[in-house]
Amino acid sequence: MEIEVKPQFMTVTELNRLVREEIENNPYLTNIWVKGEIFNLTYHSSGHIYFTLKDEGAAVSAVFFRNYNKNMKFRLEEGMSVLVLGGLTVFEKRGSYQLNAMSVRPEGAGELQKRIEQLRKKLMDEGIFDPAHKRPLPFLPKRLGVVTSPTGAALHDIIKVALRRFPNIEIVVAPAKVQGDDAPGSIARAIRELGRPQWGVDVIIAGRGGGSFEDLMPFNEEVVVRACYNSTVPIISAVGHQVDHPLCDDASDAFAPTPSAAAELAVPVRTDLEDEIKYLVNRMNMALSSGVEKLAARLAGTASRKVFRDPYEIINMREMLLSDTESRMAMHMQGVITSRKERLLHIPDITMLEKRILMEKRHLFSMQLQAIEKLSPMNIMARGYAVVTGAGKKIIKSVEKIKAGDKVEIRFYDGLASAEITSAAKEK
Amino acid sequence: MEKVKKSAPKPAFEEALAELEEIASRLESGELGLDDSIKQFEKGIQLAAFCHKKLEEAERKIEILQKGGSDVVARQVAVKSDTGEIEDDEDMQGSLI
Repeated sequence: MEIEVKPQFMTVTELNRLVREEIENNPYLTNIWVKGEIFNLTYHSSGHIYFTLKDEGAAVSAVFFRNYNKNMKFRLEEGMSVLVLGGLTVFEKRGSYQLNAMSVRPEGAGELQKRIEQLRKKLMDEGIFDPAHKRPLPFLPKRLGVVTSPTGAALHDIIKVALRRFPNIEIVVAPAKVQGDDAPGSIARAIRELGRPQWGVDVIIAGRGGGSFEDLMPFNEEVVVRACYNSTVPIISAVGHQVDHPLCDDASDAFAPTPSAAAELAVPVRTDLEDEIKYLVNRMNMALSSGVEKLAARLAGTASRKVFRDPYEIINMREMLLSDTESRMAMHMQGVITSRKERLLHIPDITMLEKRILMEKRHLFSMQLQAIEKLSPMNIMARGYAVVTGAGKKIIKSVEKIKAGDKVEIRFYDGLASAEITSAAKEK
Repeated sequence: MEKVKKSAPKPAFEEALAELEEIASRLESGELGLDDSIKQFEKGIQLAAFCHKKLEEAERKIEILQKGGSDVVARQVAVKSDTGEIEDDEDMQGSLI
């Protein structure tokens, strides 16, 4: 007789429960990193993310619940290679298991790098990095704004360099946290504050000294990048870095690899500008002096010929010209001297340069006066020439016009004499 | 808001310097008569004085912004020129805005 032995069995429910307990209590299956690629990705409206994690030989479904994924700073993409931290759970109803993700990070490129690249792409599409948006920095900034840590070396470097280049520069520092979770908000706030017209700032340097990639992360945060882009005053991004440019570099009007270099970009060297002015004034002086010399020589040449041909007729004209020129010169000089005096009175420390310009101008005018004096017929007459006039003040140009007994007047440079001709004879 | 009537904007330093350069070149070209030369020269001297004035306009001053009640206020600080260090920075940490 066959004895029917009932095999020991368990129900499906019991089986799945057992499996579930085995799996969920197995420390090797609870807090594990699993590497794979993402497929069948669904961002569900509930906020949960569903996907299948695959490699060449296998697949496992995964869920990334909202309360775990809400702080994630990048977006999962189809085909992305990732490391998933999670544990297995079992669906007893279907006899299937899935990976319950608590954290996902991109494999290969670091998570931060990935985030930056995604943000870069997004902002680029928006035109945040458009070169056409960049403004020129002011040539001569009146007030320099600085956004950085109030206690960092970057601030000292910027102040030191700025003062060395332009000793009387004005600097306004908006202190910001440059490290930690609240750094991005703090930096953005400081940039906005300095942009308010009441501070009179016409260029801003925002940055920090060098640090690790993570240290520089605040300058890759969207809120900081946007604050740079939206700055109401031209802004220089000054984040110490060796290799990778932080995103705010590309959104700013200019950028420098260190805070010191940014200060050099923003602040001109005052003595260079002074030298430039001096050089230009010097060129003007040289040009004007040589111009006056040429003109004087030309006038002198022309005049000497005319004077000897026809001295008396041009005396009046010359006299008029002379007195006119003289009075204009005098007025001009008076004007120049008055304005110089005013300037001397109002500018407490007139520079040596200005004093020299004044001296040179005086010299120029005296040269001009001398040149014009040389042209005066009186001057020529003073050298021993005289003009003889007869009846009706007519100039006697020839001995043939007079005879013995004629009364004539002789005009010397300093007076008039009456005379009577005793003899007149033409030279053969 | 009361509007303040603005006077014509004064030429900026950069423009004044560029104009000075132009005048120097014009004088050097020898195209101008004596009268014009002197006028231009005078203008150039004025521009040079203006540029100098602009360079002297700023008064060396370092200010730190900090919270003053609900407002932000500027506090002037002394610095060491050689190192750029702020001399009275004991309460810098609390000066974030």
